[in-house]
Amino acid sequence: MNRTVLLVGAIIAAALVGVLYFALGKDPQAIDSPLVGRIAPDFALKAVGSNESIDLSRYRGKPVVLNFWATWCRPCWDEHPVLTQNAQAMGDRVQFVGVVFQDDEKKITDFLRERGWTYPTLVDDRGKTAIAYGVGGVPETFFLDKHGTIVAKYTGPLSTELLQGYVQKAMR
Amino acid sequence: MKWPSRRWQITGVVLFALVAVAQMKAPDAEQFVGPPRGTPIAGDALDQRAHEIAVLLRCPVCQGLSIADSPSEMATNMKGQVRELLSRGFTEQQILSYFERSYGQFVLLKPKFSGVNSLVWTLPVFALLVGAILVVIKIRKLEQPPAQTAASDDDYVARVRDLVNK
Repeated sequence: MNRTVLLVGAIIAAALVGVLYFALGKDPQAIDSPLVGRIAPDFALKAVGSNESIDLSRYRGKPVVLNFWATWCRPCWDEHPVLTQNAQAMGDRVQFVGVVFQDDEKKITDFLRERGWTYPTLVDDRGKTAIAYGVGGVPETFFLDKHGTIVAKYTGPLSTELLQGYVQKAMR
Repeated sequence: MKWPSRRWQITGVVLFALVAVAQMKAPDAEQFVGPPRGTPIAGDALDQRAHEIAVLLRCPVCQGLSIADSPSEMATNMKGQVRELLSRGFTEQQILSYFERSYGQFVLLKPKFSGVNSLVWTLPVFALLVGAILVVIKIRKLEQPPAQTAASDDDYVARVRDLVNK
């Protein structure tokens, strides 16, 4: 009896340790997006620094890098030059779009004026677009193929290597 | 060429801004969960229903808090959206489905009875049943009369038995 109890206890303990081991290595905020493989929710948002409204669907036909960010987000500062430089280097082949999350338009304008920009940045009023994309924090980036399907989502600041890898995936 | 008066310039700018605002549209729940299937509500009923649904949704930027309990801006925006959807006549199921579509089942504080999640419901019941069965088996064993001890050949035991029986 004692041997059986010990064996069952050891199996249960091993299973629990295994679950904890794998769970502890995961970021609880990094949620796998159920939107990957689906058509990206469409939106038309106001561009920062103008009254122009930009509709996501206008970019159908080429891959889109859709980046949610904010000026209060320190990792977004590090990511900003990676995005602007790559957007410039990739030119018309890929469209970059920034969506600002829970921020003030004046701060965004100042930030962009100071650090430069090479692609449109849009204001998300009351976070509705962020919610539709399941954004839990910033920066988060979605990669859309030319048909508007989300092929990948990345949580955290992108490096050039990562960004180019995902763009390659979106171009396939 | 004569420039339009200041009043016309201002009117033009305001009209331009209004047209731009009118063109703005955030993704709408209707395109994902279909048209509202309930009745639009307002006032106290709206407050109450919005709170009831908010306690079922996890705040994505907090540690295990519902959007009803979280003071974060994200939770405030989500609560605002729940209110708006209720006021347009969306049902609780449609609203939960809308958020689940974006965030996955992670956003539901009450997991669905499906797939691996069903273990959350079934495992405690299973563990209780197994425990109850073990307890019953143990009690039955205790109630059984002790088996007759085989006569021991041990002299010492035989002497003790004699002494006890005297």
